[in-house]
Amino acid sequence: MTWLGYRRPDGSYGARNYVLIVPGGLVATKICQFVRGTVTLATSETGNTRARRDRETVARFLANIGKNPNVAGVLVQGNSAGGSYAELSLERIADEVAGTGKPVAVLTADQCGGTLGLLAKGIEVAREMVWRASRAQREPADDAALSLGMKCGGSDATSGLVGNGVVGYVYDRLVAARGVAMFSENTEIIGAEHVLARRAVSPEVAEQILAVARKMEERGQAVGEDIRTINPVPANFAGGISTLEEKSLGAIHKAGSQPIQGVLSYGERPPRPGLYFVDNNANGQYLFPSYAAAGAQMVMFQLGGASVPVGGILDPSTGIVAPLLWLTANRRTQERAANSVDFCSAPVLEGTESLEEAGERLYELIRETASGAMTRTETIDHTNPFSMYLEDPIF
Amino acid sequence: MAKRAMRVTLRDNVATMVETAVAGEAVVVTTGRETSAVVAREEIPCNFKIALAHIPRGEAVVKYGEVIGEASADIPPGALVHVHNLVGRRGRGDLARRDV
Repeated sequence: MTWLGYRRPDGSYGARNYVLIVPGGLVATKICQFVRGTVTLATSETGNTRARRDRETVARFLANIGKNPNVAGVLVQGNSAGGSYAELSLERIADEVAGTGKPVAVLTADQCGGTLGLLAKGIEVAREMVWRASRAQREPADDAALSLGMKCGGSDATSGLVGNGVVGYVYDRLVAARGVAMFSENTEIIGAEHVLARRAVSPEVAEQILAVARKMEERGQAVGEDIRTINPVPANFAGGISTLEEKSLGAIHKAGSQPIQGVLSYGERPPRPGLYFVDNNANGQYLFPSYAAAGAQMVMFQLGGASVPVGGILDPSTGIVAPLLWLTANRRTQERAANSVDFCSAPVLEGTESLEEAGERLYELIRETASGAMTRTETIDHTNPFSMYLEDPIF
Repeated sequence: MAKRAMRVTLRDNVATMVETAVAGEAVVVTTGRETSAVVAREEIPCNFKIALAHIPRGEAVVKYGEVIGEASADIPPGALVHVHNLVGRRGRGDLARRDV
């Protein structure tokens, strides 16, 4: 065993022990303000007036975030059981989550005598769930029970040369131990997709990898946009990165060297252990929630040399139920945001540590965090709104 | 004292400075266990790329053993390689529009 987690009825292990209230909104937010140990979703995305494919994505997300091992129990609540679309019905979401064996309750305003009745009943149910969840003790777990997701951002030369490679080292170790490792960012494999496709477990998966990069490139071309005005971002240019291809080739180092098992849709759970690519844009407000819905107990942001103010607090949220670890290989970034950075691999660039040694150090930090140690930004009680990667027009 | 740069693979024709070199300064380039030398023609700030060979206009600039774009001007050894003399070709909606 390598870490301590909360054992769930489906055999997974949680690094945290939250009660989740879904979907978000007035009642869910007020329940969370009243009951300690609860979390909800802060997003404007409800699935309303969306095409079927996107409604399915929203429904998959809502059910799968409830299945995350960090969630002890789920309260599904809303105005009425049916909801506006069949895909998004409260029962469907509740039934999916209940498939994991964890406690699930469904409450509606219809049934509780209105919104305030729902709030009162919801508080009662949530308090009971939290109290029951707190009876659980952490138990020994293996690396095979770990699932991680990562994104790189504010990238500079230190990201591609060291920072992403350190994560790649950890991902190789985790995959060898039969855990789950996820990476993403369609935009940031453009120019490097052929390198990744060679690592696919099958020709079908190779084609899926090429297809997601092509899809993103064609979207840019369709609007006549010079990608250089979007990505690399100004901070990348200032950090020594010159082209999108260069950024992508540095970015894929975070994916280590193991075979790629598949391309996951937004919020989709991986069917088997191993390394996966997630079909998504490069925006953390979309990406970290997707990893959490896919079952990640923790997410990581490998930061380059973006314009971090001295004493700046980095974004504390968007993993929703999965704590966020901030990593950097840039000494200046680490010094400026020492209050938020959890891990620094600058010693590798400075020549005082090997990449493998830094990777082992990060792996140990991941196990400690999985076992309950807080990340620096996890100490802040704030969640920024997130968005979902939906592909069709809104009507 | 020579300044340090890192090259990722032996196929690369650029290296990344891990400290700033001023014009005329010697730069030691490490590629794994191998080392080579180049002289900085101009200031190359830390984290920016230095050319290791003459790269003619239109030729590929290689880092990580892969093409990161093409030279938009003749680049002499020891020169700074960045957006003024290196352009990407991928995801360029502006080029697609011109092709129509």
